[in-house]
Amino acid sequence: MKAEKDQKKKINKTTFATALAKGDIWVKLSTVIMGAGYFARKQIVNGILMTAVEIGFILLVVLFGVPSLSKFGTLGDVQMELKFDPLTLQSTINDYDNSFMILLTSVITLFFIFVFIMLWIWNIKLVYRLQLKKQNGEHINTFREDLRALVNDRFHITLLALPTVGVVLMNIIPILVLIAVAFTNYDQKHMPPNSLFTWVGFDNFKNLFTSSMTISFGYAFRKILGWTLLWAVLATVTTFIGGILLAKLINSATTKWPAFWRTLFVIAIAVPQFVTLLLVRNFFSDSGIVNTICANIGLTQVLRGIGLVRVNYIPFLTDPNWAKVMIILINIWVGVPYQMLIATGVLMNIPTDQIESARLDGANKFQIFCKITMPYVLFVQGPALITDFVKNINNFNVIYLLTQDVFITSDQQLAASNAKEVDLLVTWLFRLTNEYYNYKMASVIGIIVFIICAIFTLLSFSRMIAGGREEEYR
Amino acid sequence: MRKKLLSLVLAGTMVAGLLAGCGNKSNNPSQSSQPGSTPGVSSQSPEVSNDDIIANLIANTNGTVKLTVWASEEDQDFTLGRIEDFKAQYPDVDFDIMLGAESESKAKDDILVDVEAGPDVYAFADDQILELVDAGALHEVAATYTFDVKSANAAGSIEAATIDGKLYAYPMTADNGYFMFYDSSVFTEADVQSMDAMIEAAKKAGRKIAMNVSDGWYIYSLFKGAGYDLTLNDDGTNGCTWNAAGGTDVAQAILDLFETGVFVDMTDQDQATAITEGTICACVNGTWRAETAQTAWGENYAAAKLPTFTVAGQQKQMSSFSGYKLIGVNPHSDFLGWSMILAEYLTNEETQVARYEARGLGPANLAAAASDAVQNDPAISALAAQAAYATPQRVGNQYWTSAQTLGQILASGNPDGTDLQTLLDNTVSGITAPVQ
Amino acid sequence: MKFKKTISMIGTHLLLTILAVIWLIPILWLVVTAFSSFPGINTAHFFPTGYSLNNFYRILFQPDSVVQYGAWFKNTLIIAIFTCIISTIFVVMVSYAMSCMRFNGRKGLMSFSLILNMFPGPLLMIAVYFVMKMIGLTNSHVGMIIVYSAGSGLGFLIVKGFMDTIPTSLREAAKIEGASEAAIFIRVVIPLCKPIIVYQIISSFLIPWGDFVLAKLMLNSGISSDFTVAIGLYNMLEKNLIGKNFSAFCAGGLLVSVPIAILFVIMQKCYVAGVTSGAVKG
Repeated sequence: MKAEKDQKKKINKTTFATALAKGDIWVKLSTVIMGAGYFARKQIVNGILMTAVEIGFILLVVLFGVPSLSKFGTLGDVQMELKFDPLTLQSTINDYDNSFMILLTSVITLFFIFVFIMLWIWNIKLVYRLQLKKQNGEHINTFREDLRALVNDRFHITLLALPTVGVVLMNIIPILVLIAVAFTNYDQKHMPPNSLFTWVGFDNFKNLFTSSMTISFGYAFRKILGWTLLWAVLATVTTFIGGILLAKLINSATTKWPAFWRTLFVIAIAVPQFVTLLLVRNFFSDSGIVNTICANIGLTQVLRGIGLVRVNYIPFLTDPNWAKVMIILINIWVGVPYQMLIATGVLMNIPTDQIESARLDGANKFQIFCKITMPYVLFVQGPALITDFVKNINNFNVIYLLTQDVFITSDQQLAASNAKEVDLLVTWLFRLTNEYYNYKMASVIGIIVFIICAIFTLLSFSRMIAGGREEEYR
Repeated sequence: MRKKLLSLVLAGTMVAGLLAGCGNKSNNPSQSSQPGSTPGVSSQSPEVSNDDIIANLIANTNGTVKLTVWASEEDQDFTLGRIEDFKAQYPDVDFDIMLGAESESKAKDDILVDVEAGPDVYAFADDQILELVDAGALHEVAATYTFDVKSANAAGSIEAATIDGKLYAYPMTADNGYFMFYDSSVFTEADVQSMDAMIEAAKKAGRKIAMNVSDGWYIYSLFKGAGYDLTLNDDGTNGCTWNAAGGTDVAQAILDLFETGVFVDMTDQDQATAITEGTICACVNGTWRAETAQTAWGENYAAAKLPTFTVAGQQKQMSSFSGYKLIGVNPHSDFLGWSMILAEYLTNEETQVARYEARGLGPANLAAAASDAVQNDPAISALAAQAAYATPQRVGNQYWTSAQTLGQILASGNPDGTDLQTLLDNTVSGITAPVQ
Repeated sequence: MKFKKTISMIGTHLLLTILAVIWLIPILWLVVTAFSSFPGINTAHFFPTGYSLNNFYRILFQPDSVVQYGAWFKNTLIIAIFTCIISTIFVVMVSYAMSCMRFNGRKGLMSFSLILNMFPGPLLMIAVYFVMKMIGLTNSHVGMIIVYSAGSGLGFLIVKGFMDTIPTSLREAAKIEGASEAAIFIRVVIPLCKPIIVYQIISSFLIPWGDFVLAKLMLNSGISSDFTVAIGLYNMLEKNLIGKNFSAFCAGGLLVSVPIAILFVIMQKCYVAGVTSGAVKG
């Protein structure tokens, strides 16, 4: 019995090398015709399917991949030329190269080749295992049994197949393409289809870390990175604490109709963000309603008197310092009700016996909050807090909707690299692509943001995934 | 006589442009046919008439001609009507023309992402022409079929649509520049000659004068007016002399204007509200605000060329960008021929007259601009008077953010107290920076 | 003692009232401006000088080639319905595989997907656009549905967290009775996950209503009737239009907010119920 188990283990652990070395003629033939190994073990349908996949792949590479891959080294060299015939009013376009499409199809092809090689190795191992099974006289699954496995122990393959295709299409391939773009000179001067772009190595990364009079990306990057991190910390902490305090207030024993109060705050966030933020932006504009009111009640004059305002209005969203404060405040407005809801749920489940005993020991409300409530909430909410932090690093909507078309930078070095004081890395890179078509620098910045976020995510979730927390609840 | 003078002014903004218009190779004057029939124009081979070419195009058109046209949001109803008329002109062709709304000032933002997916025919402001040509989003107007675009339109507009000697677009309006709107109950005609007098008068009335100085488009007016240049190099970078000797005087002059408290920095959108509410009594703006100003100020509505302002004790005439709106054809259009014919139709004399009547936009077409109504329009007259001091807009992309930032710093009174020369040096290095 | 309690009660309610007013002022401004008879931004008074239903009438019954509110609403609704069906199915499937099944490379796959999700979205857009262009789905609502839902499998974390709290014994009992993994998934686990699935359905339903950046890039024909509500409303506030459209924008924003607010309230209840039920046991 034990020997049999060992045998099985051994079969499952075969490496590619042993499979290739010890496999019989059919296994070896499978390196060329991938279905061969199945035909030999009478798994006809599996064999046909595998061979079909192989043929499909080869056709795809030859027809779709090779034309692009052959130009991958230069990203194309035939400029578009257009000839117009004024008599027929038609134009002919030459067979030009589109650098971006070459890059895109090459990346897709390379990705498929990678996947195919993995499949090929796995296939060799599989057919070798089939060979071993046959030699040991074990049962070999029929096609029907294989299918049944897909709803049983191999159900995860069924479940993950489609979502994986989607993720490959929408995430993996775009990410690979943009990582590649970071090493090219794809910008407004080199925009397909009219112009070509090509590889430039690490030049863009060097640009990002240099500051000179002509290239100020280094300066802008440092400043914006600093503000991005500050913003992410402040935005996360303020909404989190604000949420808990508001939840405490609403759920305190003295408050009547807690549900009513809760609904009032929820209404504020249920309106789509782009509506409220665009609205608030006009609310606080330089000649907007809030400024009118402040001027009427004399607040503007007071602020001017103490030197907080130099102009005859309050530059809520146009002065760098005012704007940063306002953005944090408006974010509190947006974020606190949401955090309040979550905190409400968490607080309801707080172990009351601890609070009782603390109260008997003579602790006051503030001490209870600091010593018992907060640690408990932090324990439960810890991972969510770090997710929020990472989300805030990428918080596009709040910053973009509040400052786009409104905020003008007064830092000349930032202006030279099309950045603003209030920009996050993510809004900066968005404007670089959307308004200045500087895809190469945007990609470099994107990669940096990605690395920063990935580090924080890994830090927080290694504890959750690896630490076995998922089993804890059961 | 006056008519002629005005059209001369409109036409003669650029002598070079005029020359370019005359040197139009494709225009064969001897070929001009009788009035009434299609004016014979252009085309490289004089043996084939344009009517034949169009007839040939109609004969070779099978199936539905699907076109997408972009016009600004305000221009929708008008353009829809013209498109219907266009369809009626060619009853034998089955058209399916979709009209999209895209402001002329932003056309490039949405087209450059993917030129191939762009509209077939679109309106845009002339400041975008360089980038659009670079990206291959404009089809050269190599030949015209229903009228001669080059001779029919003001020379300045043709120059604005020409890059490296090639015409790339069809002039649509000649009113995309700026000048001064004012409330004549506050200012006399003498007042509006100088900014100092205007500020005095406005101070008395307790109202303000607005100009969007924190915008590269407007701040140019002050530096250029004082004689400091901004030029475009062949590689797309800018040349700029704002930090030359005396440049700080201009910066100081701007600071002084804001110091009065009467001269304020306001965006166009804020100006619109401020005009309606009466907080401002004059503003530097363009024809698109004419309607707002007219409604708010009624019979006191008036317009004039930009005033002079004081730089180091001397009066300097404010300059401006001369602006045009153009219609372009996408070279990736599936129906290039029909796109070109439609673009011609949307910019011909009849359409330009109708556009003025419907929307008050100043025509680029010489004949349309010569009409009495256009001549007597205050806004368009003011623009024509300003034309003598206006320069065409040839500016590389690196200009805008840095100039805007300079404007923002000056408008807020140079809060950090930076040395003006340093300020200008930084601005110029930003403006002249290589394209990264 | 009683006196002190009364004071604290009044204090609490006073504070809550002040906070509620702060939170509701912008919303109130949205509502009153939507009913304003002045089309532009009112900068002198909080309350409009005249009221009318004109803004609603204009956006609902007078579509022109710029404002096509009815078409926008219909487009967004269709995209949202399909997006939420596909995303929810994807998320639930991935969550079950990650939470309830044990297979080689599972943890690696989870870390990998979490990291993938970190790549800044605004940058990916341009590549996504050209991928969609290659398969000919730009400027189409099918394309939008794919864009919104295809990558949704990565967002499994919350639903998985909930599934983690379902006792293993339940699934084991079903297995002993001979149920297949698929049967356990459908008959045992899904019914238990109702609150979190409702949360997932609504939150993915809301995506197309709030996104304007991606939609603006993908639906680039410039034809207003192709737009979604978010792009349409965003366009209404272009610099040159804001003076004519601000009140109508508020009316449109208000109209779209009402159904969304209702869904949102349902969603947050399910979310809180779902998330906290897990937290308790931890």
